Amino acid sequence: MSLAALEHLSGGLWPYLVVVLFGFLPTEIWRVAGVFAAKNLQAESQFLIWVRLVASALVAGVVAKLLISPSGALAIVPIWGRLGALGLGFIAFLLFRRSIFAGLLTGEAAILAAGWWATPVP
Amino acid sequence: MRGVREGAGVPALVLMASLIGVGGLARDIGYPMWAGVLSTVLVWAGPAQVLLFGSIAAGASLTAVALAVCLSSIRFLPMTVSIIPLLRGPGVGTLRLLLAAHMVAVTAWTEGIRRLPPMPQAERWPWFMGFAVTVMAAAALATGAGYYLIGALQPALAAALLFTTPMFFTASLAAGCRTPADWTALGLGFALAPVSTLLFGADFDLLATGVIGGTVAYLIQHRTARGAAS
Repeated sequence: MSLAALEHLSGGLWPYLVVVLFGFLPTEIWRVAGVFAAKNLQAESQFLIWVRLVASALVAGVVAKLLISPSGALAIVPIWGRLGALGLGFIAFLLFRRSIFAGLLTGEAAILAAGWWATPVP
Repeated sequence: MRGVREGAGVPALVLMASLIGVGGLARDIGYPMWAGVLSTVLVWAGPAQVLLFGSIAAGASLTAVALAVCLSSIRFLPMTVSIIPLLRGPGVGTLRLLLAAHMVAVTAWTEGIRRLPPMPQAERWPWFMGFAVTVMAAAALATGAGYYLIGALQPALAAALLFTTPMFFTASLAAGCRTPADWTALGLGFALAPVSTLLFGADFDLLATGVIGGTVAYLIQHRTARGAAS
C-alpha cells in the first residue's frame, strides 16, 4: 500500500500516524537496541566507560549545534551573543560551586540583553 | 517520589521552554494540537521533533524524513547503553528497562548519569521514572501551550526560551563531570561539532563528534591511569 493511499484511508488520523511511523519508530529503535546491547555489560566495564564518554561528547556536540546553527527565534541573536551568553553562564556555574541554577539564570540574563540589543524595540 | 520533586524544578522548566517551539512547528504545518503533544510523549527527542515537523514544512518526502529522524537519534544508542546498567537489578525486568529506555533523552540522561550512581540500586528505577515522567508531563503541557502561544511572543523572549536548552545541558553535563576524561569529552564534543558538520555532513556529524571526542578522552584517561600505576 502506498503512503498516499494510507493517508487517504486514515483521514483525520493521518497526523498522528505520521508522528508514530516517521517520528516515534525511527527514534525508539535505538533505545530498544540500547537495552539489549547493554544486557551483558557490567556498570564498571572499560567498554561502558568508553560508551559513556562517547555519549557525553555527543551531547556536547548537540549543544554546540543548537548554538551554532539555531532554529527559529534564537537566530535573531548574533553568534557572539549566543556563545558569549553560554560562556558567562558557564563562568557563573563554576563561581557558584557548580550551581546549574546560577548558570542558567546568568546565561538567560545575558541572552536577553543580547536579544534586546539585536532587536531594537520600535 | 524524590524523583518527581527533583524533576518538577529547573529540569521541567527548561524542557517546557524548549518544547514550546515544537507546538508552534506542529501548528505551522496544519497538524492538530494533540499531534504535537503526542510527538513529545512518543518521540521524546527535541531535535527529532523539530526535524519531523520542520522537514514536513519544507516539503520533504516522508521516507527521507524518517531516515533523517532515525540518523539524528543514533545518539540514544550509546546513551541508553550507558544508563541501563545503572538501572537494572533485582525487580527491574526487561519491560521496566524498556520503559526507562523510552525516557532516555538529553535531560533525563544527564541528570540520571549524575544522580544515579550514589543511590542504592532499589531506589534508582523509581527515582528515574519519577523524574522522567514529571519532566515529560511538563514538556507535553508546554507543547500544547506553545501551539497557541509561540506566535504571540516578543522575539527576544522567544530567543531566551530557546536558549534555556543549550545552557541547561552545558551546566548539567559539567555538573556530572568527575574525571579529567569527562571534561575532555565535553570540551572535544563542543569544539568538534562545527568541524564535523563540514567534514561528515549534517547526518553523521554528531555520531563522528561523539566517537572521536569520546575515544580521545578515553585514550587520555587510559594513558594517565597506566602512567600512574607504573
